[in-house]
Amino acid sequence: MSKQVFIPRDSLNQALERLSSKMNVWVPAASGSNKCGSEFVPYRPDLIPLLNRQTTTPPKAVVFPQVETLLSYEYTKDPDNPSRVKIQLDDTSAGSPTLIFGARPCDARGFLLFDQVFTRGPFTDKYYRDRRENSYFATLVCLEWDSACFCSSVGSGPTDMEGSDLRVTPLKDGYLVEALNERAEPILSLMEGDVPTDAQQQDARKLQEEASRQRVGNVDLTRSATDFKGRFEDKAYWRAMVSQCLSCGVCTFVCPTCYCFSITDEMQGLKGERLRSWDSCMFFQYTLEASGHNPRPTRFERYRNRVGHKFSFIPEKYNGMIGCCGCGRCIRSCPVSIDIRRVVENLKENACVCA
Amino acid sequence: MEASATTRLHQEVEASIGRLSTVLGWGAGYDPLHMTPLFVRSPEDIARLVWNPLCVQNLTGYLVKSPGVQPPEEGKKIGICVRGCDSRSLVALIQEKLISRENLYIIGIPCRGTVDIRRLMNESGLSNIRSVRIEKDLLIVDDANGAHNLPLERFLARRCLRCRHPNPVIHDVLLDEPVTPRTTAEDAYRDVESLEAQSLDQRRAFWSVELDRCLRCYACRNACPLCICQNRCIAETRDPRWLTQRVNLPEKFLYHFIHALHLAGRCTECGECERVCPMEIPVTLIKEKLNQITRDLLHYEAGLDPEAVPPLLTFNPAEAGI
Repeated sequence: MSKQVFIPRDSLNQALERLSSKMNVWVPAASGSNKCGSEFVPYRPDLIPLLNRQTTTPPKAVVFPQVETLLSYEYTKDPDNPSRVKIQLDDTSAGSPTLIFGARPCDARGFLLFDQVFTRGPFTDKYYRDRRENSYFATLVCLEWDSACFCSSVGSGPTDMEGSDLRVTPLKDGYLVEALNERAEPILSLMEGDVPTDAQQQDARKLQEEASRQRVGNVDLTRSATDFKGRFEDKAYWRAMVSQCLSCGVCTFVCPTCYCFSITDEMQGLKGERLRSWDSCMFFQYTLEASGHNPRPTRFERYRNRVGHKFSFIPEKYNGMIGCCGCGRCIRSCPVSIDIRRVVENLKENACVCA
Repeated sequence: MEASATTRLHQEVEASIGRLSTVLGWGAGYDPLHMTPLFVRSPEDIARLVWNPLCVQNLTGYLVKSPGVQPPEEGKKIGICVRGCDSRSLVALIQEKLISRENLYIIGIPCRGTVDIRRLMNESGLSNIRSVRIEKDLLIVDDANGAHNLPLERFLARRCLRCRHPNPVIHDVLLDEPVTPRTTAEDAYRDVESLEAQSLDQRRAFWSVELDRCLRCYACRNACPLCICQNRCIAETRDPRWLTQRVNLPEKFLYHFIHALHLAGRCTECGECERVCPMEIPVTLIKEKLNQITRDLLHYEAGLDPEAVPPLLTFNPAEAGI
């Protein structure tokens, strides 16, 4: 079985069409005819995949939906003895094979952290696991980055294929797709591409090498855990850095690594569902205790939590892994243009903290 | 033009900073196209103040939302830079007694419009921007492919294209000569009218597609200077529970209409809700419709007269409009 195929640009849709007859396929596409952004959507034959720019939102929701039902329940009263109530629970979960085509290294990398949190601890989250095990990432060698991108600053880079199953190298007239592991090979065969010519293979190698030499982001944010602790109590620092913060949830919702969630029971009559939904440390209700006390009462503590979580707590807990993939979406989407690179970089003791 | 406006701003703040505890303005952000709110607390910060058409944020919300600007020290005031639209937010906040006029030193900036940065990036094909200059009506951007002269007019935000109050309606000092408003009160609701010209089904389809993309990140609410419930917003409270955590269309629809209805007769159309939406949902349109109704029924335009009482904040048994 060939481990790489060439898909001519004008047959990409046919290849995706073949794949979508066997599995769910998600591709980046324009958010609307009059919109500037793009997002991952289920493949449709009339859809034009938009592979030359980063999407507004990462493919996080494909594997970790914004809201999912953990269980549904129903109470039934015993007609003979109404004080007796029976409860029925249904907590089935299922994943079905899903391909995310056209992700970027930063998009795929986000799930490496999710894996640690949801599958490597003492408990396994079966809802996440079932979808994750059924998910495949066909990841682009990234050739488009902007002033908000900083993947190299967090130990990744435009050709980082960690967490990906297939590598997609965009060439002049098509895409060279390579299987990076065994489980990806059936997907490659389904695409029914051409056998790549030597020239195509050479072009792809050259492009990959060039891209791998690029440094996206000019600071090193991988060793900030100690600096963070030094600044933890420094109220003036957090005030200086994030006075602008509006405490909205954009940065966390567009973040490929933010996994915090909330669990609520939504009940009507005798029936209900227990939902898991994305939470945000920017929201007031995050860590709000039943007593009414919140250890993170203002946006300063909440933003500090965001930085600490990604650059200090996670690396300490997960063997140096940074809880940030450098996609820059939080910077790009922030209503007031807060730059997390600057906040982390300035944690260093002697940094200027003028704001 | 940009340089001189920024220079005048520096001179003005230098002259007044002795009487001010903080000055709210804009400064350089993470790249030459993005400005970020700047809190000037000492004379050294003044040089970092900027005013140009890339200064897009309405700063007035910081005056009322916790933990915003510290209250002024004894005998001092808070300085704030406002464009026309921002000054109307200030008026609304003063009317509702959320801030007091006496505590403010208002630096008014007549505004020719601000840039829709997302559209600029999307339509101009710019990449790796090195520098940006503004000369008269041109945005001169230097990027990886050289210098580009882009007409500002082409990239103005929708809120600016329909602006009828470009000059601050209240101010202590005005930084520039007043500018001519772009539209009249009659023309300001063209976007709403063209949407309304569609059939009910078309409009339902329009809003279904638009609102379904909402993430419920609440950027629109938090960027709104007049959305002041903060931690008590019923979009999030569980007790009372008006909305569930579901992200289906009815919940999103309800949230946006709660937001809009709470702004009826109060919204000053600064357009921040629409600007900050990561999903590019034209949410200001909903508020524009409510304002159009307020204008037609109650003959009131929000945020113009600090002494006026907004129609929905009072009760008149002899009300003739309704």
